[in-house]
Amino acid sequence: MADTGDASGSTDKPIQVKLVLLGEASSVGKSSIVMRFVNNEFHDNKDPTIGAAFLTQKCRFEDRVLRYEIWDTAGQERFHSLAPMYYRNAQAAVVVYDITKASSLDKAKSWVKELQRQANPNIVIALAGNKLDLVKPASSSGDDSEPSTPPATPHESEDEADDATATPGENPASPGVESLRQVPKEEAQAYASEAGLLFFETSAKSGEGILEVFTEIAKKIPIEHILSSTRTGSRGGAAAGGRPADGAVNLEAGGARGKDACNC
Amino acid sequence: MPHLHELPHLPNIAFPPREYFILTNAGKPVFTSRTHVEDSSDDLTSAMGLMQALISVFADDGDKIRCINAGRTRISFLLRSPLYYVCVSSWREPESVIRVHLDYLHQQILSVVTASQLRKIFERRNNFDLRRLLDGTDGILHLLLSRLEQDVGLTTGSLGAVRLDHSVRSKAGDLLVPPKDLRDVLYVLLLLAPCLVKQSIHPSDLHVLLNTLSAPSLSSNSAPSSSSWLPICLPKYNSDGFLHVYVTFFGGKSEAIVDPSAALPPTPISGSDGSSSNTSLRSTGLLNALITASGRHGYSTNDLGVPGLRHFLYKSRSHVQITMPVWEEPYEIPDERKRLITLYQCVHDALHARSGQAQGPLKLHFLRTEKEIVMGWVTQPFELIVTLLPHLPKSAVVGAANAVAKWVKKEEGRLFIRDAPVF
Repeated sequence: MADTGDASGSTDKPIQVKLVLLGEASSVGKSSIVMRFVNNEFHDNKDPTIGAAFLTQKCRFEDRVLRYEIWDTAGQERFHSLAPMYYRNAQAAVVVYDITKASSLDKAKSWVKELQRQANPNIVIALAGNKLDLVKPASSSGDDSEPSTPPATPHESEDEADDATATPGENPASPGVESLRQVPKEEAQAYASEAGLLFFETSAKSGEGILEVFTEIAKKIPIEHILSSTRTGSRGGAAAGGRPADGAVNLEAGGARGKDACNC
Repeated sequence: MPHLHELPHLPNIAFPPREYFILTNAGKPVFTSRTHVEDSSDDLTSAMGLMQALISVFADDGDKIRCINAGRTRISFLLRSPLYYVCVSSWREPESVIRVHLDYLHQQILSVVTASQLRKIFERRNNFDLRRLLDGTDGILHLLLSRLEQDVGLTTGSLGAVRLDHSVRSKAGDLLVPPKDLRDVLYVLLLLAPCLVKQSIHPSDLHVLLNTLSAPSLSSNSAPSSSSWLPICLPKYNSDGFLHVYVTFFGGKSEAIVDPSAALPPTPISGSDGSSSNTSLRSTGLLNALITASGRHGYSTNDLGVPGLRHFLYKSRSHVQITMPVWEEPYEIPDERKRLITLYQCVHDALHARSGQAQGPLKLHFLRTEKEIVMGWVTQPFELIVTLLPHLPKSAVVGAANAVAKWVKKEEGRLFIRDAPVF
C-alpha cells in the first residue's frame, strides 16, 4: 500500500499528478484519448461515459516517474455541475474538441474559461483538437496541409489534398478529406497561445499526438511544487490536507460548490 | 380451497417486440424503443401527438386512461406528470406487468434527473425538450427494456442472489464493511455477473442501479486500474437527490464493487482507502472463491430429483429474493421462454389479484396448457411457481411443489442472502 510519507522527492517514487479531461459531449473523444494513452487501444463507437471514469498511467519523464491519475468526465450537460469536484486540486487538464465540429471548440473555450477562473491557479491546461485521422489520409506528422503520400490506413481511400485553410462553407462541392475540417489549425493555435494553453492536434484512432499531450504536460508541470505539497499533506492528488498556500482556499471553495451542485 | 382454472389452449403465439414511448405532457417525444426512427421521425412525432391527445380527452373529464385493447394488442398508459409512458404489446401478459415495466422506465428516468429537478424544469417551461438532459441515456433505457423482457426478478419485485456457501458470503460481507473513517457510505454491494452477493437496498432501486451499471461504457473500461464515479438518484431511497456510486471492476469482466455514498465527493482511489476491500478480497483468496462460485451459480432442475419438474420460481418473501434453476429444454428457446415467463406473470397476477380480480388474492392457481402445467402457490414464508410436464395428475403437481419447497428450505443458506452486516 502506497504511503507517501517518506517520498520526500526521491527519484524512483512516482509523482502523483491529477489530470482531468473536459470537453463537449457527443463524442469529441475524451475517453478514446485516455484509452489510447492508458491501454494503447482504440474502440470505434464507444458508448457515452456516465459520471466520470478514473484511470491511472505511469509516465517516465527525464529522471522522474509521474503517475497520472486521470479523471475522464462525461461531457453531457447534466454532469456539468459535478465538474468542479473533478477539476479541483487537479494539476493538469486536457480540454478536448473535435476538429470536424466547430461548436465543440466554443464549448472547449468555455471550459478553459471556467478552469482559469475556478481551478487551481497553477493548473496546466492543454487544448487538444481530436479526430485528426478524419481530415488526414496519411499518418504524417506536423504540417497537415501537405498530405502528399497515399493513405496508409485501411479506412477510406481519399486522394484529394485540399488546402488546409479551406472551410467547408467555401468549398462545399469538394469531397476531399480536408473538407471535413471545421476548425482550422491556425485558429485554434492562435486561441491557445493567447490563452496560455498547450496545443495539440491528435487522433485517438491512429494514436498520433496522444503521447505528446501527456509528455508536454509533464514538462510544464511544477513538479517541485507538487512534491513540497505531498510531503506535508496526506496523499498526492487527493482532497484536503493541503497547505494554506496557493490553491488551498480556492480548492475548498471548489469543493463546497461541488457538494451544493450535486445535492440540489 | 384451491382455485382451479383450466386454460384450454394457449395458441403458439409469436412475441413481436413490445414498443415503448415516453413523452412529455406537452406531447414532446422523450424516448422511443424503436431504434430505426431516422426514417420515420415524422410518424413518431404524430404518433406521440395522438397519444397525448388521447390522454388529454380523458384528463379533461378528470379521468386517467389506463389501456386500450385492440384485438390482441394492448396499449397501456402510465401517467407520471410531467411525463407519460406508453407501451404497445401483443404478448397477452396481464396489464399489471406492463404497468410495472412502465414504472421501471419512470424510475430509471428519475435516476438520471431526480424527481425534484424534473418538477422544477417543467414548472418553468412546460414545453421543455427533455432529450437534452437525457443525452446519452438511450443505451441504459434500451438495456432496461431487454432486462424487463427476461428478468423475472423485476416483475416479482425481488432480487437474485449468487448461490454461495454461507461462510464465503459472510467473509466477503465482513471485508466489505468500510473502515470507520469512511463515513457517509450508505452501502456496499458486491456483484458477480448480474447477481448479488450482499445487499440491503430497495429491490426497485437496486434494479435501477444494476441496469445503469450494465452500461457498456462502464464495464468496457475495465482496465485493471480503472473505476468510475457516477451520480445516481435512487428514487425509493430519495427521489430528490443524487448519490455517488463508486464502481470498480476486478477479477474478471463482470464483478463489481458498488459503493453508493451519500455526500462523499469522488476521491481518487489510489491503493489506499476505498480499494481496501478490493485488495483484501484478493489477498485472502476470497476473490477466487467468489469467481469459482459464480461459475457454479446455475443449477439444473435435475439436481432436485423431482419427477416431471421442468422449471420453478421460488420467492422467499422475508428475504425478497428469488431463486430458480437455469432455463432448460424446451425453455432455452427464446420464444418458449417468453411464453413461460408470460405464464408465470399470469399466475403471479392471479395470485395477488393485481388486475383487480373479483375473487381477490388466491393461495393456489393452476394453469394447464398443451405443453405444461404451471401452478402457483402462496404461503406465509414463500411464493412458488412450478412448471411440470403436461399430463400429470394434480396430486403429483402438489407433491412436486412440496418437494421443491423442501429442497429450497434445505439449501436456503446458499441460495439467499440472509444477514448483511450493518454499519
